[in-house]
Amino acid sequence: MSDVQKKLQALSDAYQALQGELSGAVEARQKLESQQQENTTVKKEFDLLADDANIYKQIGPVLLKQDKTEAVMSVSARLDFINKEIARIEKQIKDVQDKSEKVKMDIIQIQSAAQQAQEAAA
Amino acid sequence: MATKQAQKGGQIDLGQLPVPQLQELKTQLDRELEHLTTSFQSLRTAQSKFRDCINSISQGVNPGTADKPLLVPLTSSLYVPGRLTSSTHVLIDIGTGFFVEKTVEDATDFYNRKVKDLQDSLKDLEGVINGKANNVRMVEEVIRVKVLSAQEQSQKEGAGS
Repeated sequence: MSDVQKKLQALSDAYQALQGELSGAVEARQKLESQQQENTTVKKEFDLLADDANIYKQIGPVLLKQDKTEAVMSVSARLDFINKEIARIEKQIKDVQDKSEKVKMDIIQIQSAAQQAQEAAA
Repeated sequence: MATKQAQKGGQIDLGQLPVPQLQELKTQLDRELEHLTTSFQSLRTAQSKFRDCINSISQGVNPGTADKPLLVPLTSSLYVPGRLTSSTHVLIDIGTGFFVEKTVEDATDFYNRKVKDLQDSLKDLEGVINGKANNVRMVEEVIRVKVLSAQEQSQKEGAGS
C-alpha cells in the first residue's frame, strides 16, 4: 500500500510542477500578446503616415529622428519575432498540457486500481 | 478542469453538481468577473486620458495661444515660463517608444480614433461581463435551491424521528 502511496505522491508532485509550468507559460503568452497588440497598433499608425513624416525613436531619455522605412522595418521585425515567440510558447503550452493530462490519467488509473483492490479485499 | 467542463455543459450539468463544487465554480466565476471589471476600469481610464489629450490640444495648441507665454511643469510644484515653438504641430507617443510629429488636426484625429477603438473594446467587454454576471447569478440560484431543499430534507427527517 505504501508503495502505491509513494507512487501517487510522486505523480501528484509531478502534476503540481506541470501546472506551475503551465501557468508560467500562459503568463508569458499573455505578455507577448499585449506586446503584439501594441506593435500592431504602431504599425497601423505608420501605414497611415505620409512617407516624409517626422518619426522619432525614444532611446533612453532622448528622441532620435528616424527614417520612416527604418522605423517600419524595425517594428515589422519586432512583430515577426513576437509572432515566432508566441508560436513557440503555444507549442510549449500544448506540450505541458499533454504531459499533465497523461500524469492525470496515471493518477486516476492508480487510484481506481487501489479502490478495486480494496473492494476485492473487503 | 471539472469546473471548466461544467461551464461548457451549461445549465443541465449545474443542477447535478454537488454544492461544494458549485461553490468552487462560483468563486472561479467571481474571480473572472473581478478581473474583467478591472480591465473595464482601466480601459475607461485610458479612454478618458485620450479625451484629456484632445481637450489639451484644442485649448492649448491653437493659433490663439501661439504668442502667449505658458508655464512648463518641471515637477508638480516647480514651473518655468516657456513659449510654444509651434502652434500647429505636436509630438505624439504612438507606443513602443516611437514618437511622431503631427499637425494639430491629425493629432486630434488620432486621439479620436483611439477613443473610438477603446469604445468598441469597452462595448465588447461589457457584453462579456454581463454574460459572466448572468452565469454567476445562475450558479448562485442553483446553490440557493440546493441548500434550501437540503434544509427541508433534514427538517422532515427531524420531524419524522
